[in-house]
Amino acid sequence: MSGEKVRLNTEWLCDCGGCHVAVVDLHEKILKVFEDIEFQKCPVLTDVKGYPEADIGILTGSIRTEHDRHAALEMRRTCKTIIAFGTCAVYGGLHGAGLAHSREEIMDYVYKSTPTTKTSFVPDTDVTGLEHTVLPVDEVIDVDLYLPGCPPHAHYIFESLAALVDGRETKAGQESVCAGCSRVMKKTDVASIKDTLDEVPDDETCFLSQGYICLGSVTLDRCLAPCPNHGIMCTGCAGPTMQILAEPNHDIRTEISDRMSRLTAIKSDAIINHIERSAKTHYAYAMATRMIGNKPTFLIHKWIADVEAGK
Amino acid sequence: MSNIIKIDPVTRIEGHARILLECDDDGAVSNASFCVNELRGFERILVGMEAATMPQVTARICGVCPTAHHLVAAKALDNAAGVEPPPAAKLLREFMYMGHFIHSHSLSLFVLAGPDLVFGLADTADSHNIVGMVNAAPELTKKGLRLRSLGQKINETIGGRGIHPVTAVAGGISFKLSDGQFTRLQELTAEAVQVVHELAGKTKALLFALLDKNPVLLEQLNSPSWYLGTVQGGKLNVYDGMLRPMDSSGLVQPEFAATAYREMMSERAVQNSYAKEVFLNMNGAEQMYRVGPLARINVADAMETPLAQKEFEVFKEKFGTPCHNAVLQMYAKLIELVYTCEKADEIINNPALRGETRVPADFRGGVGIAHIEAPRGTLIHEYDIDERGIVRAANMIIATQQNTAAINNSLKEGANNLLKESNDEAMLNSLEFIVRCYDPCLACSTHAIGRMALDVEVSRQGKIIRTLRRDTDA
Repeated sequence: MSGEKVRLNTEWLCDCGGCHVAVVDLHEKILKVFEDIEFQKCPVLTDVKGYPEADIGILTGSIRTEHDRHAALEMRRTCKTIIAFGTCAVYGGLHGAGLAHSREEIMDYVYKSTPTTKTSFVPDTDVTGLEHTVLPVDEVIDVDLYLPGCPPHAHYIFESLAALVDGRETKAGQESVCAGCSRVMKKTDVASIKDTLDEVPDDETCFLSQGYICLGSVTLDRCLAPCPNHGIMCTGCAGPTMQILAEPNHDIRTEISDRMSRLTAIKSDAIINHIERSAKTHYAYAMATRMIGNKPTFLIHKWIADVEAGK
Repeated sequence: MSNIIKIDPVTRIEGHARILLECDDDGAVSNASFCVNELRGFERILVGMEAATMPQVTARICGVCPTAHHLVAAKALDNAAGVEPPPAAKLLREFMYMGHFIHSHSLSLFVLAGPDLVFGLADTADSHNIVGMVNAAPELTKKGLRLRSLGQKINETIGGRGIHPVTAVAGGISFKLSDGQFTRLQELTAEAVQVVHELAGKTKALLFALLDKNPVLLEQLNSPSWYLGTVQGGKLNVYDGMLRPMDSSGLVQPEFAATAYREMMSERAVQNSYAKEVFLNMNGAEQMYRVGPLARINVADAMETPLAQKEFEVFKEKFGTPCHNAVLQMYAKLIELVYTCEKADEIINNPALRGETRVPADFRGGVGIAHIEAPRGTLIHEYDIDERGIVRAANMIIATQQNTAAINNSLKEGANNLLKESNDEAMLNSLEFIVRCYDPCLACSTHAIGRMALDVEVSRQGKIIRTLRRDTDA
């Protein structure tokens, strides 16, 4: 693109701030971005407070308070193209696990139950307008583009911005985390699901082949697979693949159990049962989105309640 | 009925924040609160999750200090399992943490406080930000940004990722470094030591010039408080050690381990904010205290590394112990930045780094408590884990929370002096500066933005009688 710069607004809603630090983490590449893009409103880099007219609007974080809702609406009003940036904006994110609990349940725990808290009242929610539940951004406004990731890797941030500036389709594909993982998938005779508490996995074989639950095959690659390449099972922080989002009866359990039962001697039912028992861990990042929440087989409240009841 | 002055910074400080001032009938400020208006409720959310994922999950509490949460969670799991990670793993974790500190303190000093240092506090130009700095002080700015980059690259190489690292696990670190990575990291740390050496003198000179031009800064913001920081053999440590309190007169109090935190600390909810206040239970009362770089420099006897020790001695000679002045947080941060660069260089050249990095750790049925010094202060995690390895209960004491009572106290004092002034702008500037001096988490962002946009409403018996507004829209 030549001539005028593309105008960008960014705004953060309920999140950890990491997505904005990720933009700074383009390191040397950020100078290249500055050449083509004019950062107008951006909580980390500039001093613009309102919502000027812009070509691109990046929203990070999910909707948790009245302020978040208002900010999202203002961004939609002023920006031609809205990007839901990061897993919180796209799927609700980790604190979307708050979906499993009522607002009152969370407040009572934090302010009345922790061992070091000496008071026994809950702060006034009227003042702050805390919403009843955590919502992904597209529950409140129309979103044009989605870039999940917790945070998205600099590679994908740069590629998406460059594609928008050049007016072309992004090269970011729909591969799963497996695409970037150097472990080798192979058929084994492992007969039961393993836990890192019992033994340390080997560094070369696919976690599923070894009997460990890894979400790499059901998670969109927006990270370049750092976890499995550093000895850690994927926890699904960039959210599910299109395959899972698009199919009403497919979800994380069914896909993993199908794949893992073929790679090992573990029965499919045992795998499904295991994932349901640790549902809060495995659906942590995306449970607040309707694309997961509306699946007919998705019984997250029951699974979590059962675990907390010690079943 | 009391009068309430409400200040809404449109920008965020650790979530959304604002300032409330309550006046009595004589017009004196009777109560001030720095309010955090965002709540995610992590302590409740973590219950029911697999404890093994806590290091990855809790990193997501803060994108500015994820490595602090990541490592303290892993340490708490070690504690629950009753295992000691092998020496190489401890060193790798500490090395990762040095990278994180270098990134965080550089961001805070050069990107966020940088405009104040370079342009002065009175400057109100549009260029009062990082872009303006590049033009006005290219050398300082570029080196500051480079140092931040070096820190983040170290963090990423060991942590697997820079933001939300993943490799610290119960019992150690989940991978081993290759020979090529060692060589590359040695280059990075050598460069970091070189750069921080070049930057330290210049930064200190700018800070002292700022203090000379604004003598009122050294007179105000001197509210006494207790302090809490971590030492190992009396020397400042950010990764591990004993918690050392100091009273407001500078007397060192008995050190305690993080595992005693339940007896030593009390949290109190406040009506208008989601951030609870925290007090130290010592000398038969609940003591208001501060954590963070200034607190750590106050409680420590010495620094472990040579250049940092030299700066430490200059600080002590000029400002004494304890130094209550919140503005000098910046100098304390600079000393820690020098220390973490030197320490990183020391660790990467330690042959013990090449050993085994992980031992099996079974924490089922255990309770784990650990602490770490986050860039902004002491951070404590506790997990109660059931027989299946699922989190049964979780509790956390966060750095910014521990400074809340001190911030409120300073705001009350500051506002009482300021209310007599009729100059709106002076009042807005000063209240903002007070908050920023305490460096609440993401105050960095507030600062990067330049000056906060503020709405101040003064009410009497429910009616607004005075409105102050500063809108910094372009």
